[in-house]
Amino acid sequence: MLSKIRNFSIIAHIDHGKSTLADRLLEYTGTIEKRDMRAQVLDTMDLERERGITIKAQAIRMQYQDYVLNLIDTPGHVDFSYEVSRSLAACEGALLLVDASQGIEAQTLANYHLAQSNKLTVIPVINKIDLPGAEVEMTRNELIKTLGFAEDEIILASAKEGRGIDEIINAVINRMPPPAGDPSAPLQALIFDSHYDPYRGVIIYIRIVNGMLRKGDQILLMGTGKEFEALEIGTLRLDLIPCDSLSAGEVGYLIGNIKTIADAHVGDTVTNARKPASQPLPGYQPIKPMVFCGFYPINGEDYELLKESIEKLQLNDAALFYEPETSAALGFGFRCGFLGLLHLEITQQRLTREFNIGLIATTPNVVYKVNLNSKQPIYIDNPTKLPDVSAIASIEEPYLKVSIFTPADYVGAVMTLATEKRGTFINLEYLDPKRAIITYEMPLAEVIIEFHDLLKSVSKGYASMDYEQIGYRVSDLVKLDILINHEPVDALSFIVHRDRAFYYGKKLTERLVDEIPKHMFSIPIQAAIGGKVIARETIKAKRKDVLQKCYGGDITRKRKLLEKQKEGKKKMKLIGKVEIPQEAFLAVLRIGK
Amino acid sequence: MTSLYIHIPFCKQKCNYCDFVSYAGKEHLIDEYVEALCREIRSQPATRDSLASSEVERRLATIYFGGGTPTLLEPRHFDKIIKNLNSSFVIRNSEFTIESNPGTTDLAKLKALRSLGINRLSIGVQSFNDKHLSTLGRIHNASEAIKFYEDARTAGFDNINLDLMFALPGQTLEEWKRDLHTALDLGPEHLSTYNLQIEEGTPLWERMKQPSPDSLKTLTLSQRERVLRAGTFSPWEKVRVLSKSDEGIRFPSEEEELTMYKYTIETLTAAGYKHYEISNFAKAGFECRHNINYWKNGSFIGIGTGAKSQIIPDERNTIFLGLRLLEGLPVENFAGYEKEVAGLINDGLLERNNGHYKLTRQGLYLGNLVFEKFV
Repeated sequence: MLSKIRNFSIIAHIDHGKSTLADRLLEYTGTIEKRDMRAQVLDTMDLERERGITIKAQAIRMQYQDYVLNLIDTPGHVDFSYEVSRSLAACEGALLLVDASQGIEAQTLANYHLAQSNKLTVIPVINKIDLPGAEVEMTRNELIKTLGFAEDEIILASAKEGRGIDEIINAVINRMPPPAGDPSAPLQALIFDSHYDPYRGVIIYIRIVNGMLRKGDQILLMGTGKEFEALEIGTLRLDLIPCDSLSAGEVGYLIGNIKTIADAHVGDTVTNARKPASQPLPGYQPIKPMVFCGFYPINGEDYELLKESIEKLQLNDAALFYEPETSAALGFGFRCGFLGLLHLEITQQRLTREFNIGLIATTPNVVYKVNLNSKQPIYIDNPTKLPDVSAIASIEEPYLKVSIFTPADYVGAVMTLATEKRGTFINLEYLDPKRAIITYEMPLAEVIIEFHDLLKSVSKGYASMDYEQIGYRVSDLVKLDILINHEPVDALSFIVHRDRAFYYGKKLTERLVDEIPKHMFSIPIQAAIGGKVIARETIKAKRKDVLQKCYGGDITRKRKLLEKQKEGKKKMKLIGKVEIPQEAFLAVLRIGK
Repeated sequence: MTSLYIHIPFCKQKCNYCDFVSYAGKEHLIDEYVEALCREIRSQPATRDSLASSEVERRLATIYFGGGTPTLLEPRHFDKIIKNLNSSFVIRNSEFTIESNPGTTDLAKLKALRSLGINRLSIGVQSFNDKHLSTLGRIHNASEAIKFYEDARTAGFDNINLDLMFALPGQTLEEWKRDLHTALDLGPEHLSTYNLQIEEGTPLWERMKQPSPDSLKTLTLSQRERVLRAGTFSPWEKVRVLSKSDEGIRFPSEEEELTMYKYTIETLTAAGYKHYEISNFAKAGFECRHNINYWKNGSFIGIGTGAKSQIIPDERNTIFLGLRLLEGLPVENFAGYEKEVAGLINDGLLERNNGHYKLTRQGLYLGNLVFEKFV
């Protein structure tokens, strides 16, 4: 019965309480007993719980009275906005959650627009009304004025204290439409998420839009053209509950001996191979990594382990791209591509923590389009691959449209920052006398390097941002090389705007002086463009380093100090005669901090 | 033959740099503590069956009262302890040291200690500069220290060590030179000179953080890691941290500290002292036998709170301890470390001499780079 089904998401800016609300809904509908509750059930990865964000979307089916409520969780970070968009495409409605103490923020707006473009019924919920700093009236006015809600549409809630949950459930049932769709039409099901299970292969999460999926059906994935047998289908509770068929409007899972999630992209359409739909569902995009960096094992012997570990991560992360590469300085490693910087950091941390690999990540960069004098343009994802200057007609770099939400007090500081980061001012709009949205067009390369942190810092943490890609633009870019003890370290090369080269060269050399420990000899650190040195710093030689005092009761402790010192050096990479700590390779990210 | 260390954990006042086991204001526990020490002495395995163990085995080559401030105890306490020692061990031609603090003992007590057979006095002078003494939180001033030294001579001590510290907050090279020459003028048999280490949790560490609680946060990741790794960091690293954010007390730079150390070695050597360990200098025949036993990784008995015993030497410590002695240690100890030795010789930190490997002059300054290869 389609009329008894509601498919919905919760959308919110990061930290506005999405996961807590999800937990309360699960409790309220009896999907999970309170005593079984781990905080934030939906965030299953340690990293997610730690960072308080949801990285991967998931779904869960709740039974309330005679209604089936499918809650489809969405990732909370702009890096994963494509996944958000696909999750929303599987829904008819969305709860728009706004923190009463923060008000509307950049991703509130971005997610709201995504929901609108997916034609969802949006129900605004003001959360955290229990907080001492809650500004319910202000937040209500923003929702009314900025997003055009009527006052009586807005629900007040405190997910933490369980207030407003009944009202939310009733609104989901009464205000959100049931799914449309024709159960007798050819099968069209949207893949809104997938994950790799080591025992069962890829499990894909689907929303049946039209038709019916039966266990045993031969299915076709319209984007990749691959066929599989639907070995098991079912609905999503806390566990997977198998069933024999899923019909239009329903949300569930499919297991079909799919070996890798690269074969089952989020956004792809599942249809019946024997009786295929004439067209896939709209909106599918192949995933394109935006940010690249090199991953190298500190110890060369760990290369195989790194390779296996990246392969394992990729089983569950179709957005993770990798290919082998070699660096003169770092040896054998991988060039990896990511959706954004958060995606990069998470991947790096998972490799370090879950697989225990000593890892060096090189400075992230974007994909540059290099127009050559003679041939077709080439795309490079690694600064060391930049051809000789004489062969280059021009270089283009990806640009973003960046929307920054900020309290009015910080408009000036934010604009100064955006201009420093080569932003082109587009628009300034006041939501109310206290808050503004500023729009800039900015190079992606500037955004991935420290922009978000600086934005937080100039606005005392209040500003938030969102972005969308707007294509390539020609820029006057040069490759900046770093020489340590007169040896060029390719892993530290990066591409930068000519006007900024001197600044970056100076800052980076200064930063490296701090990051690289003193050695027995002095170490020159140079920044150069095409062989011309534009900045130089020197790490002075270590002059005195000796335990001056060592007697009977103290010997074990002193030995432990020496052992620690030795261990620390093992975590460094020896380039030439210089031991370089891991952090040095990300020094460029911390310029200006 | 063995060495014996006895720890006395009492102090009038805790010094600002001190992270030893010592307590201020607990003098009422001294009697009880001495009782406990005596019980511990009597229960030593080597002595329990003292008739069975030979006199050689029971002989103490060295005895060392350390602290804390051992001179806070009264002569009757020492009398009691020494009586117990005599019934369990053999004290003959033993080097018998007591650590002392100026300001805790008068001439009468010094005489009493000397007459009990204590034959070596180590005086914690630290500085002859009242400003620096106060920064360090010492309870005495410079003239009291000199008076104390003279009393010790009067009491009959003919083997005296002075402890001195350099690279103090705000200390100049000139000030250090004056301290050193004041010490030389007194003519002690032995001198120990240390650079100040700021140990975590000490008042000095806390105070360094006080001017700017954020000073640690301004460290870069790797610096922070180095600090954590080391558990302590050298003054020059601290000053770099502090100078970024506040006008905290200025420490001598690494370069200045090295200059002080070099000056110490040159001056004391020229004055006839033998530089026999990284931080220790002695007139001929007055090297501290008790401490040499530690550096040669010998066995020792430790008595009292916080004191450790080493019955069977831990071989992992042999090289890094032995290299502290300027004579180095015999090459056979380095079996299995051929690669490390070759590298260090190539770097100019280690040299071979008379069948020993020893630190070069450069190696002396960068000893930790050498030691870490052998742990």
